[in-house]
Amino acid sequence: MSKKQFTFEGIDRRTFLKVTGAAGIGLTASTFGVPKLLRAAPQPIKIGSVQPATGPLAVIGVGQRRGNQLAVDYINSKGGIKSMDGAKLELLLGDSESKPEIGRSEADRLIKGGAVVMTGPFQSGVALTISTLCEQRQIPFIMDVAALDKITAKGYKYTFRVFITVTGLLNGAVKYLKMLTDMKGVIPKRAVVTNTADAFGKGMSGGFVKFMEKSGMPIEIVDRVQYPLGIHDLSAEVARIKAAKPDILFPVSRPGDGIILTRELYKQRVELMGIYGPGSPGWYEPDVIRDLDKLIYYVMVNVPWINPKSPVYQQANAAFQKAHERYLDTNSAYAYTGVLVIADILERAASTEPEKILAAARQTNFKDHPVVGGAVQFDEKGDNKGALTALIQVQPDDDLLKRVKIVAPKEFAQSDEIIFPWPQLWDR
Amino acid sequence: MDTNLAIQLIIQGILLGGIYGLIALGLSLIFGVMGVINFAHGQLMVMGMYVSYWIFVLLGIDPYLSLVIVAAVIFVLGYLIQFTVVNRILDYPEAIQVLPLVSMGLILENLALLLWGPDHRSPQTALSLKTLWLGSVMIDVSRLIAFALAISITILIFIFLKKTTIGKRIRAASDNRTGAILVGIDVDRIYNASFALGAATTAAAGVLLLPIMPISPHMGHDFTLTAFIVVILGGMGNLIGALVGGLILGIAESASTLFLPATLKHAVSFTILIIIMLFRPQGLLGGKK
Repeated sequence: MSKKQFTFEGIDRRTFLKVTGAAGIGLTASTFGVPKLLRAAPQPIKIGSVQPATGPLAVIGVGQRRGNQLAVDYINSKGGIKSMDGAKLELLLGDSESKPEIGRSEADRLIKGGAVVMTGPFQSGVALTISTLCEQRQIPFIMDVAALDKITAKGYKYTFRVFITVTGLLNGAVKYLKMLTDMKGVIPKRAVVTNTADAFGKGMSGGFVKFMEKSGMPIEIVDRVQYPLGIHDLSAEVARIKAAKPDILFPVSRPGDGIILTRELYKQRVELMGIYGPGSPGWYEPDVIRDLDKLIYYVMVNVPWINPKSPVYQQANAAFQKAHERYLDTNSAYAYTGVLVIADILERAASTEPEKILAAARQTNFKDHPVVGGAVQFDEKGDNKGALTALIQVQPDDDLLKRVKIVAPKEFAQSDEIIFPWPQLWDR
Repeated sequence: MDTNLAIQLIIQGILLGGIYGLIALGLSLIFGVMGVINFAHGQLMVMGMYVSYWIFVLLGIDPYLSLVIVAAVIFVLGYLIQFTVVNRILDYPEAIQVLPLVSMGLILENLALLLWGPDHRSPQTALSLKTLWLGSVMIDVSRLIAFALAISITILIFIFLKKTTIGKRIRAASDNRTGAILVGIDVDRIYNASFALGAATTAAAGVLLLPIMPISPHMGHDFTLTAFIVVILGGMGNLIGALVGGLILGIAESASTLFLPATLKHAVSFTILIIIMLFRPQGLLGGKK
């Protein structure tokens, strides 16, 4: 290879001037020739996201942030908010540390930092404090995930929820349980309800006990075992569960305790027909599926879930997997949906003024989302009328990521078969 | 009352108590020698758990086999913490000593978050699901091993302090710092070794816990608190006291499930703590100082 290729020997002064001159003119023209675009670049629209990024719910909180951010990047890549001259979205991050009081101060900080819409916060306890703050500050609060009914029961104008309510969750839980027992012709007689003692855990499991009583199903709840959030050992609790001789377990859990609970059930040889989660995390996260392997097979959970058949989900999931090497789970998908809904509202509001955002939010009819359910439409309380749960079951599959399957409702189902009662944990 | 359940709970309490004792042993040792309360204690344990987890996942070596390596790694980490931070703050008022150590804990916690992410990791080790049955009472093998090793490590540390030259130097430095310096002991180095030893024992406890509970970066704080309660219960700086305190706390927490909702578990520990503080502030086995 000749040396010439790597030097400027062949370029004389004239050629150099011609080339750089042309480049210079080109650059100048491109800068000054279309000055409108550059000068009119609109201010980014700031969205505040408070999530539990540290503390016992950090696994979820980090996923939530990633879901929010992914949607922001997606909207920006599509040209931002077109009705506002292509204004880009910007996500301001707050960390509730899984604590309500900190969630509030973080939200306050983000609002002071210029957030015109708030989202988050995964935990209902945190949502209660932020919704009050947003009402005072007149900042629309479009919750991606948070389920307690009372958050929207206060008559606040500025609070909206993309997620399902606890009542919605419980309706789904009872509906699918009835479907299951009718279909299989077996009815568990004794049941134990367990829950973490945070606002959601208590509200959800207390509500479930009441709904079961009202449902008229002949299932007796013989014990309710509550334990602190972030517990490290459940051996004593499982001993108590075993002593209650249940046929079925209804756990309202958080990440971490599902693993401990299942392993203890195995070790203490607690005979069950199955585990049926009325609606909570802890049973479908990739890490849990990997670490528990066969032990988590046949666990069923009634849960707001991703819609793997939707193109929006497929596109978002591919991007999420590329960025984070894990699939877009249901919570992160709701975080993603939350920002999509916000972008849709902003597009129609064509303004960052709170009143215009509110007016647009009330008119929302958003169909292109990645989760199971109908179009996102807000009722007078601000709850999503289209929110729906799915019944999922962990079933054997060589691909870890495909083990969680939707088994109901029919139109979303990925597996026709539901296994119930399950083979005992130690017989697998 | 269900006798079977009661026996089951007490056995589980004893087994858990042994590990609590081992976690607290390091805290007690560090306090006994230097009078410093190590607020990064639980986080050091979590670091031990993660190192062990790494060795298990990457090399396939069971946690029980990697125990010595993990203890050695955390020994070095402890040595460095003492060398760079703690030795410089020994003469400060106690309230000031708290801050650098709490900060150290936060640094370690966030380092774990950075390195391993926020997930709960709970690898299934060879023995993590094994159980022994005595009639209808279950004994968890991994807890039994953890208990036995915890007791053995405590006894070894005890013998080390009583019989070896370094052990004697540590006790001398703990007894009278000035006196130890006067007879030619390099007290700073002895302190480094003591802190490192304390860190290594808590890391060992972490390794023993790995087959039993999922690791996450934020769990350290809870264990600092548990260790603190155990140490106050048994007597600050008393090693056998740490073991006794651990057992009492383990049994109390476990057996309380019989009568109380599990949400009151922490209330039980703290009630015991307050009672001890009221009636025996020096701890059950603590001498009068």
